[in-house]
Amino acid sequence: MNKAEYTLREFYEMDELADRRSPVHRFSALSKLAVTVVYLFVVVSFDRYDLTGVLAMALYPYLLFAMSGLTFGMCIHKMRYILPLLIFAGIFNPFLDRNVWFVIGSVSVSKGWLSLAVLIVKAVCTVSAVFLLIGTTKIDAICGALRRIHVPSMLVTLILLTYRYMSVLTEEVAVMTDAYHLRAPRQKGIDVSAWGSFLGQLILRSMDRARELYASMLLRGYTGEFPAEKQKGDSRSLIHALVWCSVFLLLRFVPVIRIIGTLVTGGKV
Amino acid sequence: MIEFRHVSFAYETGYPVLQDVSFTIQEHESVGLIGANGAGKSTVMKLILGLLFPSEGEVYVHGIRVSKATLADVRKMCGFVLQNSDSQMFMPTVKEDLLFGPLNYGMSRKEAEEKADAVLEQLQITALKERYNHRISGGEKRMAAIASVLTMEPSVILMDEPTSALDPYNRRQIIQVIRSLSVTKVLTSHDLDMILDTCQRVILIGNGTVQADGPASAILRDQKLLEANRLELPLSLQKPVL
Amino acid sequence: MHMADALLSPPVAATMAAASAVTAGYCVNTVRKENTAEKIPVMAVSAALVFAGQMINYTIPGTGSSGHICGGMLLSALLGPQAGFLSMITVLTIQCLFFADGGLMALGANIWNMAFYGCFVGYYFFWRPIVRGKIFGSLSVPLRITLAAVLGSVISLQLGALSVVLETTLSGITELPFGAFAGLMLPIHLAIGLVEGLVTAAILVFVYHARPELLMDVQDAGKGGAFSLKQTIAILAAVTVLIGGGLSLYASSNPDGLEWALFGNAEEGYAENMGLNEDNYGSTSAVADGAAGIQEATSFLPDYAFKGNDSALGTTVSGIVGSGIVALCAFGIARLVRTKEKEA
Repeated sequence: MNKAEYTLREFYEMDELADRRSPVHRFSALSKLAVTVVYLFVVVSFDRYDLTGVLAMALYPYLLFAMSGLTFGMCIHKMRYILPLLIFAGIFNPFLDRNVWFVIGSVSVSKGWLSLAVLIVKAVCTVSAVFLLIGTTKIDAICGALRRIHVPSMLVTLILLTYRYMSVLTEEVAVMTDAYHLRAPRQKGIDVSAWGSFLGQLILRSMDRARELYASMLLRGYTGEFPAEKQKGDSRSLIHALVWCSVFLLLRFVPVIRIIGTLVTGGKV
Repeated sequence: MIEFRHVSFAYETGYPVLQDVSFTIQEHESVGLIGANGAGKSTVMKLILGLLFPSEGEVYVHGIRVSKATLADVRKMCGFVLQNSDSQMFMPTVKEDLLFGPLNYGMSRKEAEEKADAVLEQLQITALKERYNHRISGGEKRMAAIASVLTMEPSVILMDEPTSALDPYNRRQIIQVIRSLSVTKVLTSHDLDMILDTCQRVILIGNGTVQADGPASAILRDQKLLEANRLELPLSLQKPVL
Repeated sequence: MHMADALLSPPVAATMAAASAVTAGYCVNTVRKENTAEKIPVMAVSAALVFAGQMINYTIPGTGSSGHICGGMLLSALLGPQAGFLSMITVLTIQCLFFADGGLMALGANIWNMAFYGCFVGYYFFWRPIVRGKIFGSLSVPLRITLAAVLGSVISLQLGALSVVLETTLSGITELPFGAFAGLMLPIHLAIGLVEGLVTAAILVFVYHARPELLMDVQDAGKGGAFSLKQTIAILAAVTVLIGGGLSLYASSNPDGLEWALFGNAEEGYAENMGLNEDNYGSTSAVADGAAGIQEATSFLPDYAFKGNDSALGTTVSGIVGSGIVALCAFGIARLVRTKEKEA
């Protein structure tokens, strides 16, 4: 399986997840989009040493995975794209941030480890949240929500059309890649002699396709705007959004975990 | 009704694709447009739809001359099923695609949905409604493409190679659907058996002109004429070799 | 270069989102004034094309490794900067949503880092002037396309990488000093930019030979062709390395003041000393004194040794990567040109 095929499979997987049924799938796209954005901002706003605070935020993905029938395992491989830069930025923290976090025997652990841990928890939480949004919402619903928050119709139209054609073109790249390697079995990638023509040929064909597509759109009355579906807000979605946003703010401003911990261990709050 | 009056067309001056083409297609007729690759069949289609305009002569659809000013009217009457369904189906789901045309022509969403449901029912593909366009098979895609045109209630349907790259079962299905449509139909194809099954009349285009125009049963039997135009007898009319 | 949400603080993410949104709004308005209806399918298919094109691995001659393209420069050469920017937004949005390639909150920053520079800087500073022959007008059109694509890609990737470093440091995520972080990121992206530039150039030259009308500004390109091939390669290599390498070296020369300003964080000793030079570090507060003592006793690596090594390391890496790149660059162009002659 080549890279293009693998990408296609991953893409189809997301479609299939969004096609499932669960209470989360039924919430309106707008409410889910709002909850996700608020969640992301709250998660990353935690101080770089506030491990307990940010850990408490894992409550949201944890509960939503349960409610939606998706699992964390499904999204764990999605971390691979953001990992390199994350490691780059965070891996030096334990060595450069020399403040003492705690001491076990004669070994002291620096606060850099703490900030690295917070960074990783933040990454896991934010990736999960976006996965939960797109894994429970169909693309047309998301585009409807984007229209409702007044994202220009041109952009929304572009997203819809690109979504449709990226699989068509990726499939072509997959076939072309296979065809190339069948005739060049010892090469790892595309040889420099074909650098230009490989994608170049596809560009020429794609531009013809764009013209055909435009004709097909014109023939069905297209004038430059896509008709957008008006989504009705329902009370369940509204409650979903309000409850979660309040929970996020509560977790942000009240150190719930520390309070519980202190209560259990019998210390002073 | 479609009328070509002395139509010529050239992409570049000096290289005519069509030269002085004239014919009239009556209402409810089904006509097969045949000819070798590059004979000018697609150009004829595009001229009817106003995707191209004649260099000379005129094209009329239901008495309206096809021109920039009348495009919206002409296109509302004509449905076009492209050979490549991927170019035709540009929305994420089949349902959204079916709604696209009606909504653009001012139908309310409710009406449009009812219309879409009726068409899906008619073609017996209700199961495809919520499916993603990029996840359905070639045969299903072709059916859905026809449905997306039917929701616009065209009085003329043009189809470019409707049976290409389909398996025998899906080909049969499409032929049945074409036969069941009572509107004016213009089909281009190299699948002459399909033309024989679906059209009463055939217009043979070659070298940019009309080479023959008459009953399908007569033209498709004329081995000499067909071979002169780089075509062959339909399989069903060929004598067994052995 | 896709940034995760976790790498950004809310203010930085919001600022970048606002900057990208304003640019997008301007682009939507500009494109709307042209023939939108016809342009939208082309933009969408081009975006899909770039997405699909990123799945292609290109073998880098002589290295055994492979690279791929990011696409900003390619899109602006095909569609113009505004439409290219919008197509790039679409690609990045879909990547972020479906593949978690870059975060949703970080989308604004990612758009800025990867689409803005490639489309606007790449187009207005390199593509248009060079292809139209305002500079290097004596070269043949394919050579000008190559030059524009390579310079545009290298510079826009350098700026993008620099922005990643700035955004991350401003967000207070990394302990890595600005200079050291930039010293690591920029040379890497110099190499990535060169590969992207050469692949993009090869694609655009192919399109130029097949269907020149698909490319922006080519109609306005004057005739040229006085320079010899060797001279062109020499100029190209020199200019690229000068600008790209210069940027890397400048960044890795460790500007202490900037670093301090950026890295002043909430820790006691640091906060109180923000803006002061390092000699005064920790000496003004007893608390900080104590902290410094503990730090020295417990740190994995002593402060100055590591820092010193690090910036030296960064510079050395730049040097090695830079000279490797000159060879790569010359070799790549030679191969490109040779292919072209075979076709003719």
